[in-house]
Amino acid sequence: MLKYILKRIMLMIPAILATSFIIYFAMDMTGSDPATALAPDNATEEQIEQLREELGLNDPIFVRYGKYMMGMMKGDLGTSYVTKRDVFETFMTRLPNTIQLAFTAVFVATLIAVPLGIYTAIHQNTWKDTGGMVFALFGVSMPNFWLGMILIIIFSLNLKWFPSGAKGGPESLVLPAVTVGLGFAALITRTTRSAMLDVIRQDYMTTARAKGTGERDVIFKHGLRNALIPIITVIGMQLSNALTGSVLAETVFSWPGVGRLIVDSIAKRDTPMVTGAIIMSCVLMCVVNLAVDLIYAFFDPRIKAQYSQKG
Amino acid sequence: MKRITSVLLCATMIFSLAACSGGKTGDKGSTAAPAAAAGTEAGASQTTSPDSIPAHKEELIIGAAAAVNNLDLQKQADQINNICLKLTHQALFRLDEENNRIPCLALSADWIDDTTIEIKLRSDACFSDGTPLTAEDVKFTFDMAIDSPISGNLTGLEGVDVIDDTTVHMQMKSYSNDFLMSLTFIPFGIQSKAAYESGMEKPYLIGSGQYVLEDWVDGEFISFIKSENYWGEDVGISDQITFRPYLEASSRVIALQNGEIDVCIDPPINELQYLEEDKNITVHEQPGTRLFYFGFNCEKEPWNNQTLRQAVACAIDRNSVIQAAVYGKGTPQTTVLNRGLWGFYDDMDGFDYDVDRAKQLMAEAGYPDGGISTTLIIANSSPYTMIAQVIQANLKEIGIQVEIKTLEDATLKSTCVEGQHDLFLWRWNETIRPDCVYRDLFNTGVASNYHHFSDAKVDELTDKVLMDREEAQRQADSKELQTYLVEASPQVPLYIANLVIAYHNDLKMPFFRGGGDHEWYNAYIAK
Amino acid sequence: MVNAKSRSMGQETFRRLLKNKGAVCGMVFLVLLVLISIAAGFVYNYDTDIIAINMSQALQPPNANHWFGTDALGRDIFARMLYGARYSLIIGVGSVAIGLVIGVTLGAIAGFYGGFVDQMIMRTVDVFYSIPNIMIAVVIVSLLGTSTMNLLIALCFTCATSFTRIARASVMTIRDQEFVEAAYEIGLPTWKIILKHILPNCLSPIIVQVTLLIGTTIIAASSLSFLGIGVPLPAPEWGAMLSEGRQHIRDAAYMCIIPGLAIMFTVLALNLLGDGLRDALDPKMKR
Repeated sequence: MLKYILKRIMLMIPAILATSFIIYFAMDMTGSDPATALAPDNATEEQIEQLREELGLNDPIFVRYGKYMMGMMKGDLGTSYVTKRDVFETFMTRLPNTIQLAFTAVFVATLIAVPLGIYTAIHQNTWKDTGGMVFALFGVSMPNFWLGMILIIIFSLNLKWFPSGAKGGPESLVLPAVTVGLGFAALITRTTRSAMLDVIRQDYMTTARAKGTGERDVIFKHGLRNALIPIITVIGMQLSNALTGSVLAETVFSWPGVGRLIVDSIAKRDTPMVTGAIIMSCVLMCVVNLAVDLIYAFFDPRIKAQYSQKG
Repeated sequence: MKRITSVLLCATMIFSLAACSGGKTGDKGSTAAPAAAAGTEAGASQTTSPDSIPAHKEELIIGAAAAVNNLDLQKQADQINNICLKLTHQALFRLDEENNRIPCLALSADWIDDTTIEIKLRSDACFSDGTPLTAEDVKFTFDMAIDSPISGNLTGLEGVDVIDDTTVHMQMKSYSNDFLMSLTFIPFGIQSKAAYESGMEKPYLIGSGQYVLEDWVDGEFISFIKSENYWGEDVGISDQITFRPYLEASSRVIALQNGEIDVCIDPPINELQYLEEDKNITVHEQPGTRLFYFGFNCEKEPWNNQTLRQAVACAIDRNSVIQAAVYGKGTPQTTVLNRGLWGFYDDMDGFDYDVDRAKQLMAEAGYPDGGISTTLIIANSSPYTMIAQVIQANLKEIGIQVEIKTLEDATLKSTCVEGQHDLFLWRWNETIRPDCVYRDLFNTGVASNYHHFSDAKVDELTDKVLMDREEAQRQADSKELQTYLVEASPQVPLYIANLVIAYHNDLKMPFFRGGGDHEWYNAYIAK
Repeated sequence: MVNAKSRSMGQETFRRLLKNKGAVCGMVFLVLLVLISIAAGFVYNYDTDIIAINMSQALQPPNANHWFGTDALGRDIFARMLYGARYSLIIGVGSVAIGLVIGVTLGAIAGFYGGFVDQMIMRTVDVFYSIPNIMIAVVIVSLLGTSTMNLLIALCFTCATSFTRIARASVMTIRDQEFVEAAYEIGLPTWKIILKHILPNCLSPIIVQVTLLIGTTIIAASSLSFLGIGVPLPAPEWGAMLSEGRQHIRDAAYMCIIPGLAIMFTVLALNLLGDGLRDALDPKMKR
């Protein structure tokens, strides 16, 4: 088992290297000169040139990438061109905000979606099923920044129940989490429903009923347990998506998270920040994916055996 | 069932860990150790008696439109940084309400000859750590400034000599009318030589102002508390001043209405109605200083054709632009100088909105049927997108097809510097030095001359305006320069946006600055 | 032989699809949308109706003259909405089409040849998969500049990775089957085997994915326009209209609601259609 975990961690490394390579070169190819952008409006040519020297921009690209890689090995992701602060530090300051948002969103989503999915699976082909599926469909079809705006209009401007942006106390987390979570809820509902449907039709369910087990126990002990794998897959996927993909919700609600950090840094051509933040996000996603896989093993002894052998 | 419970427990633990981990990892300000007064001249802080400080709310919270990104005075140029730096640092001089230069850390400045300025300093000023502020610190600060990225604001300064503890001589390359105004610029706030030499981590945090940095969480807030060692009588009143960035203008407004903040900077004009309805909030408007302009790349075909540029100037409907960009809260103008600057002259004939004249000029320029296809680059934010669309429609009327390209600020600047653009929209905010408009925008070869405009007469007149000793002559030259530039039309000046700011009724603030760089150290919420 | 089979399979699928009411609604909506976007070009004159500025009429709520109201520059929102359909459709279909060609090609090659080629392709795909598609799109658009074409390129990456995986999986299941071996025996060249025998049998998951991906891409395009790096001004793309509307979320909320509804219904229709196709194409579906 331990071997498997180590192997997965080893596999992360080439992926991260490749990602950093691509992003670094892409940012560099933008053709616009960071020094010109960073220098004050009335800087002279010599000052811009001096800034370029300071930032090491006159070295050929491979040299620069090499230096960056050396730094990365030591854990130093460089300093932001714009704020002059350590990239790693800035990322870690913003990360808790995104984690809060992501976890709450997925939590909310799971709380709504799993029961809904089970419910619609049990009552398949009735109007309750259709209702649930329509809700799920709407959730997947809405652009989530639009949902955020609508929620602001209703709950923040009109009802004044929640603040409309920026990070404050727990009530400022509600609207952003619902915005991000509702889209996930839709996907998780659909997966739960189809997983439960698959399971309900299995023979062992009939056997359990024949043995006289109560309906509730049948559904939960036997049905849900076995349906959990695809459900957990999807929850895990949503979690890693949430961690980096909630840019839009962060924009609409001015939530100081990692996604927004990356997009803003791309806009400012802040190469070290962009590369560093994207690398950190990839690491995070890999870790989350690994964690999800380990939870599988927890639930399915067959998979556990598989992992232990593989290593 | 057990497994599910344990998984849920894990999830709850992780979740609560994440929720609690939103901790502060920002900078902590240097805690000012109350220093033993080194001699009677050191700045022992004036203990103001309890009754001379009016009753006030402890914390003044200001909702800003941008986040502070750098407090190292000489390595940054953003207004939000400078607003904070005005709390913690002081320059040699400062400006009064009418933008006259008045003493601050320096008592006087005189040109004792054509290349030397003698500056007399206060003897009782001190830094927030209690150490006295002397001529050595002034020399140190300016020596550092000459080599800094913002040295463009000190052109002409060659060196600073310490004559005695309260006198310095600044050696200049030549006489300049504007240089003394540069000494009010807060990035040239006096810093502590001792702090830099002590090897401490952020020596630039030590200043002589009324406040010191308390805490800074990037993207969330930055707070300042009163300095225990402030040397002057004009102590700050609010115990704590906090700036919170709300990048979304609407959420800033809502925060003001909810009482989360006391001041809302730059409320969006279309939401002012909600603020005006609110009995607890005051909306304040005054003429601003930021000029928005439409520029040509005068080196590129066909925009090197002056008559063509004049034709475009006649085709632009400034009133529609103002309506679209700031809902009418702005002042149009013809001249290139920012309103309020010395020598501002807007009475020349110039090019007003006149489509017929525009068409006539097009014909004169060699384009009787129009037929020009061109690109307009703009920054990706609110007034520019609106202005661009209005101008696009205006130019269509005279046969010019404009394609709008939105770029990020960084790319816009570099594209303009490299000269690959045709047309662009930008703004310039200058409150005290006309030379910085003429030279930085219109002189040959200057990097910020995005127009790539080059005219020997303009260069010559710019120098004259900078160096004329005689007032009448200077006025005449200034008028001539502006008239000439309007005629040459390297840009079409559009409008000056009004300063709009909204705040709680009980805010007491001596005055606001049209350019947005207010001094918050005097502000407080009365109780 | 093959032709006759696929015709009847196509007809059979269509018949089953028609039984699904949701899918039918989706199809009808989409057909209407395509018709509207074509018709809008004829009914409205781009210059006078869509982008002309009319400051006197700015920010009017929906009324008899302007069914959906006007925006901050006085432009009629109803006209802009109808005209804007074409951007979403073109970008959605275009991206997916490009992604389809690239993705299926790569996936088929990877699945068919396996081994080193497979590993190379799949690891590259994994790298792109691990970066969220919004980031990829933002980086690409920042590099190349904002234009409709660049937006298409930026968005086709996600589509391509998706199709690569599906194509590879399908190809791998099929390539070991007997009829492929038989084709080899006869001496058909590899590309012909892939094109004529393997791919037609992978069609169902690909078709379903196409409809679903068009929906996702439309949302992604409007997200990018919302962030300000999508279709260039003053084009009436729905996401761009939402971005403008955001500044007026208090005083002109209709500007925020209407374009979002349009996006939602379009994607909803595509999802309904996609789900219906998936059900119709799935031989295991019990009725």
